[in-house]
Amino acid sequence: MTHSLHREGTIESLDKDYAVFIYPARGYNYKGCAPKVRHLVEIVYQVGPANMIATTLRKNMYSGVRPEEVLASIAEGCRVFTVFNSREKIRELLRAFKEADEGISIVVSGLIDRVRDIAAEVGLDPHTINLSLGIHGGTANLPPADIRQFTTMCGHAMVSPRLVEDVVRKVKRGKIDTWEGSWVLAKPCACGIYNPHRSQELLEGLSPLYTVARW
Amino acid sequence: MIVFKETCVGCGRCQPYCPAGAIYFEDCRSVVDQDRCYECGTCLRSGVCPVDALREPPNVYEYPRALRKYFSDPTSTHAVTGIQGRGTEESKTNDVTLRIGPGEVGIAIEIGRPTLGMGLRDIQKITRALARNGINDIEPNNPINSMILDPLTGDLKPELLDERVLSAIIEMQVRRERLPEILQTIRQVIPELDSVFTLDVATLLEPGLTIPAGILAAIEDQGFSWRPNAKINMGFGRVSE
Repeated sequence: MTHSLHREGTIESLDKDYAVFIYPARGYNYKGCAPKVRHLVEIVYQVGPANMIATTLRKNMYSGVRPEEVLASIAEGCRVFTVFNSREKIRELLRAFKEADEGISIVVSGLIDRVRDIAAEVGLDPHTINLSLGIHGGTANLPPADIRQFTTMCGHAMVSPRLVEDVVRKVKRGKIDTWEGSWVLAKPCACGIYNPHRSQELLEGLSPLYTVARW
Repeated sequence: MIVFKETCVGCGRCQPYCPAGAIYFEDCRSVVDQDRCYECGTCLRSGVCPVDALREPPNVYEYPRALRKYFSDPTSTHAVTGIQGRGTEESKTNDVTLRIGPGEVGIAIEIGRPTLGMGLRDIQKITRALARNGINDIEPNNPINSMILDPLTGDLKPELLDERVLSAIIEMQVRRERLPEILQTIRQVIPELDSVFTLDVATLLEPGLTIPAGILAAIEDQGFSWRPNAKINMGFGRVSE
């Protein structure tokens, strides 16, 4: 999950992509955290996530898992990784989290300036920031930046650049539509923060222009 | 991962799922390049093989090959090597743990990401550069510590050097005044690397989500810049045990 701060894309696109983590800390607020986490997940569902996974179930939202199953699975120490596709939803979520006051660590991974504005509106004083200083080393060996917009949405790099190319190829040939393509891309993401809504928009923009070649 | 050649029908559906690009055609069947494969299991979990020909190899949980699995498959746990995950909870629970305290910074070198992975010989270039400059601050709970043979030289255990992992994270927490020297050391090693790493710097915030000016100045002075997006601990956590 460390990698969510390295999601790539334009500011406009990243403004539709905010990852949120619900994170109990072992030795600090682990004991008895299950009902608190469950309450926070209920709030997540009410606001409407773009994707989500609970570590006690390890099935993302597009695997066919029902909310009741996710909620029932939540046990002590369960962490939840989720993503939202608008600033407004993050504002609504943080407002509800503040009111719930469950005392569990919440992390938002997204545009700093936007999160600053939202925090001020909701009346929050964020605690710690983890800044991304970018990619370094043999960057010439990386897939192109437009492909990385998709692959970096999975924190563990489980979405292969070749799968993105394969999906673009299938969309261009009319074999699948952009939502189905995004669903295919979201499936390998074991951390539940691949945002298929943003992915769909990216595919709509990319597919007409893209010539699929090996990199 | 391996492909049972007798079972494979050569449809190639598994190939695009491999983040390492390790699956290719040979004699009209898919085969896995064992050197490139990180054992991340993505191809198997995809469930796309129509004939169930993908299998984990018999040595996947044997040391040192197991290192690939434990550093690359997010669904795996470090049962054999005693290595506890790829990193720590870094800033995610810092509002309750104060792991990064006042006057400190957390630095993470996320090796191999995005996508490319990294051989252990490349990781050794980084650990050696840090050790050469007297930087021995890798966190005790960080799994990289389990791979280091000699903290004074930064040498890794020799039996690991031919292994590759999708990602590993070197994590340090140091006084803020040491940030420039560490960034400078990291900058020096960049030209030696075939693969990539991403770099993170974590700090406590000042009121109003204000990033301490001294941190930003140190980053700029060493020729780095920061991206517009970041991971922000919103300060909701409370100690209840």
